[in-house]
Amino acid sequence: MSFPMNRRQLLQMALPASAIGCLPLCARKASAQPAGQLKAVVGGGRFGKAFVEAFVKPFEAESGVKVTAITDDMSGAQIAAMVASKNVTVDAIVRNQSSALELSQAGQLETIDYSIFRKEELANIADYCKKPFGFAPYVYSWNLVFNTRKFALGQPRPSSWADFWDVERFPGMRTLPSGQYGAAGPWEEALLADDVPANKLYPLDIDRAFASLTKIKPYIRKWWTSGAEILQIMQSEAAEFAQSYDGRALALIDQGKPVEIVRNQAKLTWDYWVIPKGTPNVANAQRLLEFTSRADRQAAFAQLWPQAPSNSAAYKLIPDRIAHKLATHPDHVGNSIILDAAWYADVGPDGQSNLQRLIERWNDWILR
Amino acid sequence: MDVFRDVFRNPLGLTVPALTILIVVFGLPTVFFFFASLNAPEYSLSNYQAFLYRGANLRILVQTIEVSVFATLICLVIGYPTAYLITAAPKRARIALTVLIFLPWLTSGLVRTYAWILLLGDNGLINRTLLDLGLISSPLALIYNRLAVYIGMVHIMLPVMILPLLSVMQGIDKSLMAAARGMGARPFSAFWRVFLPLSLPGVRSGTILVFVICLGFYITPQALGGLRDVMLSTLIATQIATSFNVGMVASAAFILLAIAAVMLSVFGLDSSGKQAHPDRSHRKDRPKSVFRSSVLTKGLGDRVRAAYWARELYQQGDASNWLALAGSVFLALVMTFLLLPGLLVIVMSFSGGAYLEFPPSTLSLQWYQSFFGDPSWTGALWTSVQIGLMVAVLSTIVGTLAAYGLSRTTPRIRSSVTICLMTPITLPAVVVGVAIYFGMVRLGMLGTATGIVLTQSVGATAYVVAIVSATLANFDRRLERSALSMQASPLQTFMRVTMPLIRPGVIGGALFAFIHSFDEVVQTSLVSGFSIRTLPLKMWENMRNELDPTIAAIGSVITLMPILWLVALYVTWWRAGPSARKRWLNT
Repeated sequence: MSFPMNRRQLLQMALPASAIGCLPLCARKASAQPAGQLKAVVGGGRFGKAFVEAFVKPFEAESGVKVTAITDDMSGAQIAAMVASKNVTVDAIVRNQSSALELSQAGQLETIDYSIFRKEELANIADYCKKPFGFAPYVYSWNLVFNTRKFALGQPRPSSWADFWDVERFPGMRTLPSGQYGAAGPWEEALLADDVPANKLYPLDIDRAFASLTKIKPYIRKWWTSGAEILQIMQSEAAEFAQSYDGRALALIDQGKPVEIVRNQAKLTWDYWVIPKGTPNVANAQRLLEFTSRADRQAAFAQLWPQAPSNSAAYKLIPDRIAHKLATHPDHVGNSIILDAAWYADVGPDGQSNLQRLIERWNDWILR
Repeated sequence: MDVFRDVFRNPLGLTVPALTILIVVFGLPTVFFFFASLNAPEYSLSNYQAFLYRGANLRILVQTIEVSVFATLICLVIGYPTAYLITAAPKRARIALTVLIFLPWLTSGLVRTYAWILLLGDNGLINRTLLDLGLISSPLALIYNRLAVYIGMVHIMLPVMILPLLSVMQGIDKSLMAAARGMGARPFSAFWRVFLPLSLPGVRSGTILVFVICLGFYITPQALGGLRDVMLSTLIATQIATSFNVGMVASAAFILLAIAAVMLSVFGLDSSGKQAHPDRSHRKDRPKSVFRSSVLTKGLGDRVRAAYWARELYQQGDASNWLALAGSVFLALVMTFLLLPGLLVIVMSFSGGAYLEFPPSTLSLQWYQSFFGDPSWTGALWTSVQIGLMVAVLSTIVGTLAAYGLSRTTPRIRSSVTICLMTPITLPAVVVGVAIYFGMVRLGMLGTATGIVLTQSVGATAYVVAIVSATLANFDRRLERSALSMQASPLQTFMRVTMPLIRPGVIGGALFAFIHSFDEVVQTSLVSGFSIRTLPLKMWENMRNELDPTIAAIGSVITLMPILWLVALYVTWWRAGPSARKRWLNT
């Protein structure tokens, strides 16, 4: 049979149809981000809930800005795609150091306006937390965590990454974070276990890190990819040893779970607030960032979720009992190593960043 | 208006709205996406070369196929006898069993994966029970390995295997088996030489559908699998999250698509849900070796068979009782497998502790309170309901029009257009999602409600077309012609004759469209741009960040919803009258 329409008819048909299709779109675009609104990605789970309570809700009350807090993680690539497509749907995002640095090098972030921050607060904030591309409202660490039921007080207990790798002295299953995202992989830990001195970690020896990981691989139950998994694994005692965020482990300890956190060789890091380039609500986003720099807010956050403040004045407002749990407490900070995001974002002669190199290497190694 | 009238008077014109949405939302982006994989405008195969040069990618590719093949085989091995036993059951039991198979399929895949985490965990129901019974001294490693991946995938895909098998098997004339037995065939050879060949179209549809959908799995393998259980879809999703190299993502997606397309075109998908010529396909598909061996043994076999037949006539009672018992036990096991996780979620939703436990140490409604008391959950529920309704309305209208138009064209056009409309649900979800995502970026609709509605409507329309087409297949066109001959306009005829007769199919299609929208997470997570949170997205977020029993509470609510749908469907079906009921049962 012959085709029932000629081309002109099809075009006539398609034009009004596409016009109809556009209508709701145009209407939405105009009203998508009215003044006085803000969308912020603040991290998930109980961390996200605490963040909303300590920062977002009081900010709404003070500023009158209506904030939609998205309690999830957004990856650097998703931010890059959003900026590149000029379709910026989120105004402020909390990102880990190396990802923030990568985005800033690619020119995808707005500059933080520190002129609206309070002078007295800024004076108490370390320089590494107030970069032109991002502001860090908290500091946290990655720690060795173990099950106390298997290794009770009085018995030898693991106290370093070398112990974590020592499967004969400390038998049992382990779990480490997946290296699939590059930044959060157990690279420094693998090198420390292989006797690399803490002050000679960077530049990371990628080959050596993977050789060390290969040794521990048979004892890894799961390479965890999300905070829920590490909780579930420790909760169900699917592994005796883990590398965990300090906050998640402390939450388990607070609930009376048989879990102990090791402070030695903790890996200190922090997340930056970043503002994607081209967001229509840049002014409101800057105001939210300023709000999260205040000592009283950071102290409130630390009491809801054991995350160390970036504003040292906050420690004066935090009870000692809680302050002692935090990663930057003077008792812990001396035994910690500091993650060097600059190395991760460093681009080699082949045009690949160390972050990308790690991801590729990981994807290959994990299947071997 | 004249243009519209001309277009709609032609049966193919009725498919225009559905095809327009499909092409704009999925078709054109796929074409652009394909060019991107070829490095347009320079055109080179470098992305594919880069993909295939990396040993890891090849291993993932092989592993994806391997996992999909095994999951499909397991589904077939469990699904075929299940479907056979259900077909052989008395009518009432058959309907009840079909509904019970249907239920888990309508339950959120996320909730079911989540239930398995809790069932298979070291502290889960299975290990706890075995430990309590003293059968084991330390928990078995049931989770975070390949076995757990298969359990989770088979649980999700088994209904997809069984339902096409059931629809074909129920259409097989039982008297053919009786005739074979009457001619002296033993039960097994009657089954092997008569029933099995007749049921092959169902085996083919079920197998292909399950295999292709398995290719696109990633949430379940990631949640239940161990170190190495990476699927190509996981790789694509991780690529999107980490590097966003469009060429790389596109080449991986098209390689996955190519496997799916090869499978679909070689084995063919019987999209109409009917078997055109079962007797002919039977002759073609019958295994040759069986045919030959039976020729060789024929002369010898005849006498033995006659003796056996005589003996069997008197022994039948015993053997069939034993078989019936084995069959019932098997069915009970399959049903337990399918339904237990859902029940588990409902029980756990009343747990009183801070974490998910089974059995719950204390009972409380706290997780229902935390669900209904938290605006971010109720907001997500409300968003999902709104989007679901919009998707249901849009896809029911365009899908019904398309199905109606297609029912009046030639079989060849019908089948090719139907296959096009089915692509969004027959191709791996992540590939469809990635293509639509890039389309939405281009259209500037990322993170808009319109974008999400259009994305989900593409898949939902496919369900509507499938269901309404099945209803129309038994529709008597003479009724329409007589209405037209009595001076009714085409519109009047459609509204007053056709529509009332196909109403159950249309309502069924609308319900499926709604459920599809309500459950979709892979594609929605890509196009939502983080600014719109539907209920499944919120659930997934919660599952990744904090396993709290709020998920169990919402899971229970979602699990109970399909039961309400089925009641609604049953009521419309009952009101449609006895003749429509009969037709509906046959489809």
